[in-house]
Amino acid sequence: MADLQEKANPEKRSHATRAASKIASMVKKSICDTAKAREKGKTLAYTFVYCCYDEIIRAMDIVPVWTENYAGICGAKRDADRFISKAVSMGFSRSLCTYALCGIGFDKWREELGAMPLDAPWGGQVRPDLMLSSGQIICEPRYKWYQTVQQYMPDVPIYTLDLPWPVYEEDMKVSEIEEYYVEYIQEELHELVSFLEKHTRRKMDWGRLSEVVDLSEKTWNLIWETFELRRAVPTPMDTGDAMNTMVPTMFMMGTQEGYDFYLELKKELEEKIRKKDGVVEHEKYRLLWGGGLPPWFALNDFNYFNSKGAVFPVEVTYRNVEPVNELKIPDSRDPITRLAWRWVRYWTYWYDKARKRPGSDPNVERLIQYIEDYQIDGVVIHLAQSCRTMHLGLIWQLNQLKRIYKRIPSLILESDMIDIGQYSKVQTRNKIDAFIELLEATK
Amino acid sequence: MRKPDVLTRVKQYYQDYGRRAKDLRNAGLKIIGYFCSLTPVELITAAGFVPFRLRGDVKEPITEGDTELESIACPFVRSCFDLSLKRRYDFCDGLVVPHACDSITKAYPVWRDAMRTTHSHFINLPHKATDSSIKFFKNELETFKKWLEKLSQKAMSDEALEAAVGLHDENRRKVRSLYQLRKADPPLISGTEMNMIMVAGMGLPVYESSELFDEVLRTVKGTKKGISKRRPRIIVSGPCLDHVGLIGLIESAGADVVVDDLCMGTRDCWRETKPGDDILWTVADLYLGQIHCSRTYREYSGESLGEKMESRFGEIGSFINDFRVDGAILFTYRFCDPFGFDVPAKKEYFSSLHIPALFIEDGYGSGDAGRLQTRIQAFLEMIGDKNG
Repeated sequence: MADLQEKANPEKRSHATRAASKIASMVKKSICDTAKAREKGKTLAYTFVYCCYDEIIRAMDIVPVWTENYAGICGAKRDADRFISKAVSMGFSRSLCTYALCGIGFDKWREELGAMPLDAPWGGQVRPDLMLSSGQIICEPRYKWYQTVQQYMPDVPIYTLDLPWPVYEEDMKVSEIEEYYVEYIQEELHELVSFLEKHTRRKMDWGRLSEVVDLSEKTWNLIWETFELRRAVPTPMDTGDAMNTMVPTMFMMGTQEGYDFYLELKKELEEKIRKKDGVVEHEKYRLLWGGGLPPWFALNDFNYFNSKGAVFPVEVTYRNVEPVNELKIPDSRDPITRLAWRWVRYWTYWYDKARKRPGSDPNVERLIQYIEDYQIDGVVIHLAQSCRTMHLGLIWQLNQLKRIYKRIPSLILESDMIDIGQYSKVQTRNKIDAFIELLEATK
Repeated sequence: MRKPDVLTRVKQYYQDYGRRAKDLRNAGLKIIGYFCSLTPVELITAAGFVPFRLRGDVKEPITEGDTELESIACPFVRSCFDLSLKRRYDFCDGLVVPHACDSITKAYPVWRDAMRTTHSHFINLPHKATDSSIKFFKNELETFKKWLEKLSQKAMSDEALEAAVGLHDENRRKVRSLYQLRKADPPLISGTEMNMIMVAGMGLPVYESSELFDEVLRTVKGTKKGISKRRPRIIVSGPCLDHVGLIGLIESAGADVVVDDLCMGTRDCWRETKPGDDILWTVADLYLGQIHCSRTYREYSGESLGEKMESRFGEIGSFINDFRVDGAILFTYRFCDPFGFDVPAKKEYFSSLHIPALFIEDGYGSGDAGRLQTRIQAFLEMIGDKNG
């Protein structure tokens, strides 16, 4: 019963930083702005995060409608279930990606009504003019989702962008194969530009695209520098806030607003470090969020960790940048070439480091590096039941970390990113309590 | 009368899967384990190795797999993984994994460990089937070829590859001939037998598998089945089916499975390479350009939704016509995103052809049998009522 009450009336999560507390209104505004953009006759496109096309759509003045983001918002507002159930009633299994189910259910409902579903969170998700899906190596729902939606929006064209990267092999150097990966991605991005030019009847301004790529590279470096400040003891910001402050990384890349956000966040973190103003007053345990999408409806679990003196100075999830100069991107003024190289070099960034440690793997190596850089005492992962993309392999990574590096306390939490039916507050908090006891015993 | 020996041998290969591969290994051949209908087995054969398709075991509970691989993976993949941890596939000298689906791809590092082999290779299969995607895939096949050459310590000539392509195409033609036997009413070969034959063939070198298929063809072709009450003719559509469980349930409930749209079924054999000057291109074109799988995104032609559906699922429609199908069992595994997202569209497609369809989400375990049996029986009764 207590769980049911909690589902209806969640505790509000408190933020440690001013920047994080601004995010909700920023996101709300960006969603409301899509409706205004529709009224102004702008081109709207359904988009996925991390598809290498942020700069292209910004340069072409296309308004992105981030469908994963909207599903996440429905989840955070504990209002995803009616849309997921709608999709299930259409014949989809509930074991499929719940972001996609939420989006599909929402769209179907909106199409049937010819208007937004009643009380849709933050005004609802607008109907797009285009859909830009992605055949990435990590996520099948990224191309199945829009293909499915096209069944009841057959007039909305889709472009599917294929974005592979070389998979880690101990016995193969990336340099031997990366050129044909880059060449393919360049071709894919050029085709995307042609698709957008055809449907917007506007030509790409290549000079503008170069400027946007410059800005996003500057933003990558700034994000990296800002997040590295969290190494400080006590840490000035933890993963609870990072799940908010990742918003400009994921949804505003290539915009001045995104860049300015991190300038402000950096300033705030520096100030907090100077004042030794940590996330908690007495920092006892430093934890690594070692992977998994968070349960958006239960972000206050981070506050619960904090109440036990535990903080997360670093996380794998959504930390999707590396310092651009370290990627050693070949010199080029062609923005498409730069985007393609950045894509491949980002995904292969940890490969050389992994190769130096027998039995390691890029994902494991990254955990080890974070454990050392951030003075980590324990690792927490979250398995979201409906997402294979971000979650398969996490248990092995934890096991391998312990086999090749050191035995470190770890905790596996289980629920979903937006399906609240998979979550039990009581069980989650019992697990956290037991983990804290383990940390205490091993400290 | 059928000669009992060949189908008995098929059953033995099916039940004691991997026995022949072990014998061949003891005789000095190298065995390369692989997943999925999208691994270009021609290259493995051309390198002088025996391609051996990994399969699960519905009767074996997953007791070790969950210690390393999340339970949200496709249950078929989990079963294969569990068997690997239990050393069932230790006779494999190498492992080849294509970018087939998220479950297989994301588990690749875990597989490498589980298979206890230092020789593994990942083939990055694009998600699209455009010319530039096929060009990229051809480059991936070049890389795969180099890996095989390193492993065999021998250069792979175009002639060797062409010969292997010829062998595998011939093998596909033989399977298609076997499928023709199912057009008869009643079919000359049951769905259960066909599934066993397909599975048996996956564990043999291509030349042995072709010989086996020939023998089955010779044996079955001459037989005539007595006239019996007409049974509903069923198509099964979905991902891979590496065991007779589901088809057996359908057939024991009083229907004939006469055709399928499955991996380890028509998806593996219905198409073959097109002649061309560049042998690697022809292989890339077969696996990416021709084989229709839910994991490969295609631009579908046509303006109307009906035209798009026809271009997407038209092959299933021709199976329905050619094999005179009365009903469809549409199945996916739990947690299978590529096939799972296609379910409502496929149901609608079957409906547009006036073919009743039953959707089954399978957990890949013998524990599901009772529940499935009840649903299948009810479905067949419904078809029976409809057909009078």
